[in-house]
This record gives sequence, C-alpha cells and structure tokens, in this order.
Amino acid sequence: MHLTRVLELYPDTRVTQILYKDVKNAAELRRKAMEGNINGALVNPTMLVGPFQVLVAANKAVHLQTTGKMKTKTLNAEIIFNLSPTNNISEAFKRFGISDGDHSILVVVVHKSDEVQFVSDISAMVDGQQLPVDDVSSLSDFNKIKKEEKCGPLLDAVVCRMAIKDVL
Amino acid sequence: MAVPQFVGKADLVKQGAEGRVYRAQFLGKPTIVKERFRKRYRHPVLDEKLTHRRTVQEVRSILRCRRAGISAPVVYFVDYTSHCIFMEEIAGSSTVRDHIVSTQQANSCKELELQQLAERIGRILAKMHDEDVIHGDLTTSNMLLRCSSQDTESDLVLIDFGLSYISSLPEDKGVDLYVLEKAFLSSHPNTNVLFEKLLQSYTKSSKKSPAVIKKLDEVRLRGRKRSMVG
Repeated sequence: MHLTRVLELYPDTRVTQILYKDVKNAAELRRKAMEGNINGALVNPTMLVGPFQVLVAANKAVHLQTTGKMKTKTLNAEIIFNLSPTNNISEAFKRFGISDGDHSILVVVVHKSDEVQFVSDISAMVDGQQLPVDDVSSLSDFNKIKKEEKCGPLLDAVVCRMAIKDVL
Repeated sequence: MAVPQFVGKADLVKQGAEGRVYRAQFLGKPTIVKERFRKRYRHPVLDEKLTHRRTVQEVRSILRCRRAGISAPVVYFVDYTSHCIFMEEIAGSSTVRDHIVSTQQANSCKELELQQLAERIGRILAKMHDEDVIHGDLTTSNMLLRCSSQDTESDLVLIDFGLSYISSLPEDKGVDLYVLEKAFLSSHPNTNVLFEKLLQSYTKSSKKSPAVIKKLDEVRLRGRKRSMVG
C-alpha cells in the first residue's frame, strides 16, 4: 500500500510514501512532527497530482542536502518547500504542509535501509485509514492546483515548475 | 558526487561541442540527461560562469515556452553543480526533418500535409517569439513529432534550447527565423514554397511580425556572397 522507491542518484537512499484519509488527529500529528517525533514530512495530499511529483521533490531535497544548499532547515521541510511552485517558504508550508483541520495526510519518509518497520510505527500514530499511494489523485483538489500552466498534462506542468523555480 | 556516477553508467546518445546527451531511467521515467561538461581550454572562472548561465537560460526558456502553451520536454531535475539537466524523453517520435524527407521520398501527393505542417510550425514559432523566447538553433532536427495513440494530430515538440535566450528585439527574432530558413532550405531541397507557407503562417499568427519580417529581409541581405550596396 505504501510506495517505496530508490533514488537513482543516491542508491543507498529510499523514499517511502504513505497515504491516509479520514484522519481525525491532524492537529496532534502536526504537533508531533514539529516536536521531531515523526521522522517524515507531512504533506497535504489535496494539493498533489500524483506520487511522481513527491519523488521529484524528495530527490531535489536529498540532492540539496548532500551539497549543503538547502533553502530550509531540515530535509522534511525542504521536501514540502520543493513541492511549491513559488520560492516563498511560508507560503509553501501553508499550502503543501498540513493544517490542524485536514482530513487526509501523505507522509513522506526518506530513509537509508530497506526496513519498513517505521511504516507500522507511523500508522499506529495516525487515527485514519490507509490508502494505496496511487489513489492520491482521488483526493486532489484540481481547482486549487491549477494555475497559469496551460501546456499539456497538469502533472508535467507542475513538475516542470518545481524543477526550475529556483532560477526564475 | 552522485550525478557524475549516475551519468557514467547511462547510455551516451550523442556528444557535441557543448555537452553530452545520455538516456537513462530516472524516478521510473525514461529520461534524457544533458550534461555540459567542463571545458579545460577555458579559464575556469569564465567556464563556470558561462556553463552555469547557459544551463539556466536553457531551463528558463523551456519553462517560458511551456507556460505559453508550446510543447517542450518536461524538466524533472537540474543539478547546477555538474550542470546536468534531467528531462523527459519524448518517446515514439521522429524529427520533422526525417518526416519531411520520408514524405518527399514516398512521392505521393502529400504536398498538402507538408504545407499544413509548415503552417503549424509557423504558428508555434510565432507564439514562441511573442513570448520573447529566441530558440537560437532552429532546425528541422530540433522539432519532434510525437505520435499519439489515437488517430489525432501528432504533437509538435520543440527541443534543444541550449542556445536560447530571452529577447524582445525584432533583430533577434529575425535572425532566429533566418537560421531556420538556412537550415530548412539546405536540408530539404526545393522547399522554397513550403518555407514561404511557414513564414506566411508566422506573419498571420504573430502580433509583432511586421518588424520581425522586415528585419529578416535585412538579415538576408547580409552574410556571404551578398552585396551590401544599399
């Protein structure tokens, strides 16, 4: 149900995504994340088009962390920032991070080894139902996501913007 | 460093003076990696500045074109340390050059089809220039026809924005068209009428075309074997 992928550029690093809906304790999870008790980025899935977008953001975050060029303070913050089409960090958090009243969450974990124990650890903390990650588009709010990008599929426009925004 | 290792294992597709192009799988997608390698014959500081600037310009131009509704490869990731651009591989496509060559060789009455293609190209270039994007290397090899699964019209995709930049000057747009004209007429003999159709379509579609065409005429009078008598 969760989705794990190895990053080709960093073969010892993996990105795992876990999706939950009908979440009742978003506020508590958000607090835990801020205290550092959840080792993952909590993303608002209604702003996402698909899992590929998250991989692109995570790949860029890991790359910038390795080269010491992150714009934010932690890897998880960087992942959320990278999802945003703009260079404003607070705006990125407001739109792509989770708020206390949210009912769905995507947890993104960057980890080294093959172990997936943490998935059950995280699921134990979430008061909600796990969904296959590929179903994330069923939660998407396409009106919120659509911006000036007119060309082709929405995912392409979003990913292209994410990749190039730092030199705009 | 990660990217050079990754690139070392990828398939080299082409090597030019500016850089190398590889094919690989990246995050589950077929990807083209464009690497601008270091030029040791240049002064290191200059080389870094130039290479960085060209990478940035290429990527900005692609995004600008996409936002204007022009098909260009999706960029997945840019590494500014090794100057590598990871972008979408346009699968199942042929260059406009190959398409024109094969259509002409087939000798069937496909004149109309080629004219429609020329008109499409004119419209797309008009849109691009109206966005103030100068491609810099317009040739029929840098335009791809992406075949779609259904019987709908294939998508015309512009590629290789390596020499592109942003400019509003009619001179720059005129030169851009001149480069295409030269490349077009030399790759495809006896296509003057076809190229005329392209220019007509461009003139009709672009809001700023009169100044650009005027400059194109001026540029044509320059160059080799041309009399500069005014």
